[in-house]
Amino acid sequence: MSVIRPENPAHLPVEKLTLGCPVLDRLLAGGVPCGSVTELAGEASTGKTQLCLQLLLSAAAPRSSGGLSAASLFISSEPPFPVRRLRILSFSLAGGEDDDLLDHILVGSALSADELLSLLRRADALLSLSQPPSGRPIRLLVLDSVAAIFRTDADDVPRRAALLFRVAAKLKEQARRFNLAVVVTNQVVDVVDGARDTRVGNYLNLWTSGRKVWPALGLAWANCVNMRLFLSRIAEEVPEVARSENFSGAGSWRRRMQVVFAPHLPEASCEFAIRREGVFGVATQA
Amino acid sequence: MEVSVLPISSNRKEKLISAGYTTLASLTTVSPSQLARDLKIPLQEALDILKFTLKSCGAEGLEGKHAALKGSQTAWEMLSDEQILRHISTGSEDFDSILGGGIHCKEVTEVGGVPGIGKTQLGIQLAVNVQIPVAYGGLGGKAIYIDTEGSFMPERAFQIAEACIEDTLANCVFHRKDFEDCQERMHPNSFLANIIYFRICSYTEQIAVINFLDKFLEEQKNVKIVIIDSITFHFRQDFEDMALRTRVLGGMSLKLMKLAKKFCLAVVLLNQVTTKCTEGTFQLTLALGDTWSHACTNRIILYWNGNDRHAYLDKSPALPSASAPFLVTCKGIRTALSHYKRIKMM
Repeated sequence: MSVIRPENPAHLPVEKLTLGCPVLDRLLAGGVPCGSVTELAGEASTGKTQLCLQLLLSAAAPRSSGGLSAASLFISSEPPFPVRRLRILSFSLAGGEDDDLLDHILVGSALSADELLSLLRRADALLSLSQPPSGRPIRLLVLDSVAAIFRTDADDVPRRAALLFRVAAKLKEQARRFNLAVVVTNQVVDVVDGARDTRVGNYLNLWTSGRKVWPALGLAWANCVNMRLFLSRIAEEVPEVARSENFSGAGSWRRRMQVVFAPHLPEASCEFAIRREGVFGVATQA
Repeated sequence: MEVSVLPISSNRKEKLISAGYTTLASLTTVSPSQLARDLKIPLQEALDILKFTLKSCGAEGLEGKHAALKGSQTAWEMLSDEQILRHISTGSEDFDSILGGGIHCKEVTEVGGVPGIGKTQLGIQLAVNVQIPVAYGGLGGKAIYIDTEGSFMPERAFQIAEACIEDTLANCVFHRKDFEDCQERMHPNSFLANIIYFRICSYTEQIAVINFLDKFLEEQKNVKIVIIDSITFHFRQDFEDMALRTRVLGGMSLKLMKLAKKFCLAVVLLNQVTTKCTEGTFQLTLALGDTWSHACTNRIILYWNGNDRHAYLDKSPALPSASAPFLVTCKGIRTALSHYKRIKMM
């Protein structure tokens, strides 16, 4: 256990991990902050896992390009881990056939809260190693997703809340002790009309694909993250003619990243696109 | 020091001297009503003179309150003490006015609200505002920030400090001889350095730090506010024995109240909200249960009203319940501008 000492805030470490795109970095004032827990919430296929993969590669990138020159730990609760996509991204983002990059990404899996807690406890040893397995310290921890773990055992609400807080406390402790950037993804649930709205953060309602949603796990979990980003998508308006010719239905989506709350960021949002080469913000003409 | 240093009319100074009050020290032990009788002046003027006395003493580093520390006080003395005490501004005039001028020293104030409403913003703002120099109407004190959640961002504190310095200098119309001196001292980095930051990662650490504060505050002079952001987080994990949790929390609040009185500082506890099921409907309520709600002297709830942030004074021994809108801007907490009557009495 570390000794608690008074500190001068001016001397606290304030590293940020680049998202691998200058437009998205600008939205987040430099990237994902080390030492705190960042949540990416959004419905299925809004780009949560894509962003996580991109962050894994960013973390391995050298400091000169906004990376941490570090290894990372990816905890998956929604297998399988998309390793082929990661490889494609590593070509486009790292710009080379550099398979070494993948050596710095450790993947673990946890399918229940108990498994997750024991994995995190075991990770302490790994995180504090002076000679880590890949030769670099671990500086990024990704949990994809927290919802999948807790949505399955939802029968005992008070126990679930206590477990959520325990997981959050462990993640925050590791974020602080090892100066990790911790990124957690979360799913969304539909808001039933007529239910009492509890506004959390900058937006009265969060919309995605025309549905009103809430990040999963309720108010209890909202208290557990330092910063919440919401990813959403809406179907692109396709002209009538185009629609009849191109009936595939796989039309394009307009995607948006919104800062729901963050201690250091104002209300802001940014459109983004997912391409083969990665996730990129779309700069708006001011 | 002689009474001649006081910024009062020569007529009053003469009266003071002829009544035997020649030094500032002689004024530190007299009550306002006593002084009013002796000088045959209105009570308010006597109060003013005592205020100036305390300020001048404070500037000299004299405590001037040894009489009060030795024994008990009369209610009169407590009242005049309280009137002399300065409050810590929240940054918003409306918010300050529902609190009777700002956050009070010697008291424990609890602030609750949903995530993203601005609790941490208020915490950082108070840690900055407490440092506004006495010459500019502030307390010129230091802050202790106990971060249990990891939401304190130095870059945000820097931003708020920068805006606070800018606004403080802009609002100061008089040119003082120490103006340049002050300006030099008022640098965002020196504001940050005067926030004593503790990051704690478990409830045992939280209890340890609070126990350690008494000793720490003896050494660290001039801390005027202790902020705990949040009091709740580590107490929502594994307390199987809820009675034990209640006792631990109760002991903690008692210690904090004692510290507030002993060191004449404000204690601000940030709290989370939770949903509570009463009679079949879900309602928002502050966390930590019913017993805890007695633990704080004042309780402020921050809430959304449509697109506006509001602060509601829910509990106070002296002030009526009232609410006021406020803004969280890039500069920090500020007054909300609007056309309608801004403060609503409940």
